[in-house]
Amino acid sequence: MNNYIIHRIVCISFISLLFFSCKHGEGEYHGVTDKIKAESENYHGVSLSSEAYLEGIETIEITEGGHTFLIPERKRHIKSYACTECHSKPLSQLQSKDGKKAHWDIKLHHANENTMNCATCHDGNDMDNLKSLTGNSIDFNNSYNLCNQCHTKQFEDWKGGAHGKRIGGWAPPRASMTCVNCHNPHKPHFEKRWPARFNTQKIKERE
Amino acid sequence: MSSNNKKWFSLNIGRKNQETSSSCSCGKQSGGCGGHNHEETDKIEERKNGFEQVFDVKMDRRSAFKQLAASLAIGAGAVSTSCSMFSGDESKEKAQIDWEEQFKGNYKLMTDEEKQATVDRLVRSYQLRTGKTINMSAKNAEENVLFGYAFNISKCQGYMDCVSACVEENNQDRNSQMQYIRIHEMKDGNGFNFSEADDNYYHEVPAEGHFYMGTQCFHCDNPPCVNVCPVQATWREDDGLVVVDYDWCVGCRYCMAACPYDGRRFNWSKPEVPEEEINKNQHYLGNRLRKKGVMEKCTFCVQRSRAGKNPACVEACPTGARIFGNLLDPNSTIRWVLENKKVFRLKEDLGTEPKFWYFMD
Repeated sequence: MNNYIIHRIVCISFISLLFFSCKHGEGEYHGVTDKIKAESENYHGVSLSSEAYLEGIETIEITEGGHTFLIPERKRHIKSYACTECHSKPLSQLQSKDGKKAHWDIKLHHANENTMNCATCHDGNDMDNLKSLTGNSIDFNNSYNLCNQCHTKQFEDWKGGAHGKRIGGWAPPRASMTCVNCHNPHKPHFEKRWPARFNTQKIKERE
Repeated sequence: MSSNNKKWFSLNIGRKNQETSSSCSCGKQSGGCGGHNHEETDKIEERKNGFEQVFDVKMDRRSAFKQLAASLAIGAGAVSTSCSMFSGDESKEKAQIDWEEQFKGNYKLMTDEEKQATVDRLVRSYQLRTGKTINMSAKNAEENVLFGYAFNISKCQGYMDCVSACVEENNQDRNSQMQYIRIHEMKDGNGFNFSEADDNYYHEVPAEGHFYMGTQCFHCDNPPCVNVCPVQATWREDDGLVVVDYDWCVGCRYCMAACPYDGRRFNWSKPEVPEEEINKNQHYLGNRLRKKGVMEKCTFCVQRSRAGKNPACVEACPTGARIFGNLLDPNSTIRWVLENKKVFRLKEDLGTEPKFWYFMD
């Protein structure tokens, strides 16, 4: 009988330890992950907004995979858009044997020759729009739909916000750069360059 | 300026008393003088005013003498300038500001009005000294906000644009070339090996066979630097920012020693920024001009982040490797990163709970 009581006391104290031992004080959690989980449960927005910082940037709203956000408008920033201003006839009729006369400055450094050429993205019969691999028309403003045919992983990250820089601020509404705002579609990789600064004082201190 | 519940003693020489008729002798602005509102009175009594915060502490003879000497010098200066027949209104005002600044309380304990008052004094003082107007904010933490940061190791190319932007935004000392951010160049295949990493490279980047990762203040949720501060000059705000009151810091550098991430910097000399390079958009807890002998560190650009903007480093990064946002917003991009990418933190086993995550593509 005595043993039973002792056993019960030990059990109860262990159970109570489980419940109370980790509470260091009011408003404290095991870790920041628990805190985020608990405190975001009844999240009801913030009074701050990024709208003021987006003024002067023309954006369009897109919804992809459950994420709705803004991306910069593109067409108005392409120097010689609309393309049909020059490309009045289908491309085959404009091409001559002397080689390229317009767009001489564009060289494609994107994948290899077996995978891509101009016609992979541009439509010779409809120069004002892009075309998908299966021949569907893609608007220049939504050019990310062209990129995501191959770059599916980057597309997933971009939709969620892990890839692609934010414009404006952290506060809603979300505005993100689209693919072509950072990557030149004809030469998408980032160039090597010198760092922005060098700390000469640090060298002295560490001598 | 001279309401009864003020937490420091003012001289009020050469300036007219501004009546605050609403406050009664018990020091409360609202409600009756009776003790029916028990909690409120308790709160007021618990708080020490600025004067007591300075003098009502145990200190050894040396520091007491130092404290007294400094205060006397300011007091004497104030009295002499204010009583002088020759000094103008401006110098009298300057003396008054110096006096009030010397005896102001800890920022953490100030009411919103007191915070605004000290910010106004600092702005006026800067105007009197330089003739230039700055904009200083005392904005408190926003509700429903907990700031967090994610850093993509695959994306960082080591350009250091973030470091430059940070120095310019936060008015860091140009002479000692103080930098809050360090970008570490690490050899592929060696993992995070800080002893072999180079944080002061100067060659074309990204260098062959290397990767880059940045460190700065991680704004730990359980910050060891805060625990060791003997004067409570550094603390964690409600939105998660770990901040420093430069006017309360005594420069003991305990926090610098306690930080396992090398996130804190000390002003060994008087910090100097050329007048034309000073960022005039300031916050009391952020990029306002510091003085010699105080600690400082990254504040996630409190002057920007509390206004809804991204910190300067995030805005400057050309690769989009830096992601900043509200951890409490389930729809924020930072939350998506934490929930969908394989994230980790530095020295997680220390239990400091940094709010700065690393991840890869």
